[in-house]
Amino acid sequence: MATTASDHGHDVAHDDHEHHPTAKTYWITFVLLAILTAVEVAWSYLGLSGPALVVPLILMMVVKFLIVGGVFMHLQTDLKVLNGYWFTLTFGTAVVLAVCVYIIVFAAFRWDI
Amino acid sequence: MSDTDINVEDIDAAGADAAVAVADATTDHAEDHGHDDHGHEEHYTSLGLSNMKLAMWLFLGSECLLFGALISAYLLSKTRFIIELVAGNPNVLAGIRDGENESLVQEMIAEASVEPIFDIPFTSLSSFILLMSSLTMVLAHKSVSEGNYKNLRIWLATTMLLGATFMAGQVYEFTTFYREGLTYNGTVFGTAFYTLTGFHGAHVTGGLIMLGSLLFLSTRNKMQKDRAETVELVGLYWHFVDIVWVLIFTIVYLIP
Repeated sequence: MATTASDHGHDVAHDDHEHHPTAKTYWITFVLLAILTAVEVAWSYLGLSGPALVVPLILMMVVKFLIVGGVFMHLQTDLKVLNGYWFTLTFGTAVVLAVCVYIIVFAAFRWDI
Repeated sequence: MSDTDINVEDIDAAGADAAVAVADATTDHAEDHGHDDHGHEEHYTSLGLSNMKLAMWLFLGSECLLFGALISAYLLSKTRFIIELVAGNPNVLAGIRDGENESLVQEMIAEASVEPIFDIPFTSLSSFILLMSSLTMVLAHKSVSEGNYKNLRIWLATTMLLGATFMAGQVYEFTTFYREGLTYNGTVFGTAFYTLTGFHGAHVTGGLIMLGSLLFLSTRNKMQKDRAETVELVGLYWHFVDIVWVLIFTIVYLIP
């Protein structure tokens, strides 16, 4: 019997629930996030300025963002069940496009009042 | 009767068989997923996610645009605020607009010593509390998935407590800033700051209401293992609120 997209969805989604991280992983993730936050705060007190201050802070922020999204929001496992190369390509392209638009708008913006 | 003749009785019989087959398939489908006795069967999309979860992700996508706009507005207003602060008069702004005096103003900005209004240790503690609430939220989902309803209630209540503590901290912070002169309509910076953090606070409050509803349903035994996805959806919202605070904390508080 042919397997439908819906059947596939059921199977994968239920398998996925079984592959969510363990409680231990969640605790380790939390400790990691707490450490990153502490490092961020400490970095802001070092008296640095310009890129030396901003770039590491932004990097740590992005890492925290990805950790929360990947582990706590289950994107690490849920993205694997999204069916199809084209969806991932479309989603990825949209994200890149959005980031580019933000950068261009910021670069071009001038107060004119 | 030739082979090509249509026999009405055969058609009826075939139709009945098909109807039975469809009914059997539907029953199997419901039993496979254990939702037949509760009447809230999950519907899965061809992406492998349930419709509810996909809808939540779409909603969170629209929230990204909202907070992206608010953070952008804050950053742009902050630049203008600093320029106004160090320049002191609108003529310098006009000079910047015309492409004049820009290097001079940049120099003034770099040398400016603006007394920070933010209390970083206090806000760091608030951030830690919100991060911890994400942990307790995900543990609540874990508990309901495993059918441990006592732990579900404990973790939900803890998440609510941590979220409420965060909100209390924000109210305290707003009150302090207001007393120090940072009003909503005093400067464009104040407007952008209060709008951004206020919208986030409103989202946390909305999350607290959702958590309260889950806790209430759980105490009445209406939040069972088969509804774990509901807890997960509220969890997604709560983690999103946490993620937004991760951005706000760095962009607004840590980067001067």
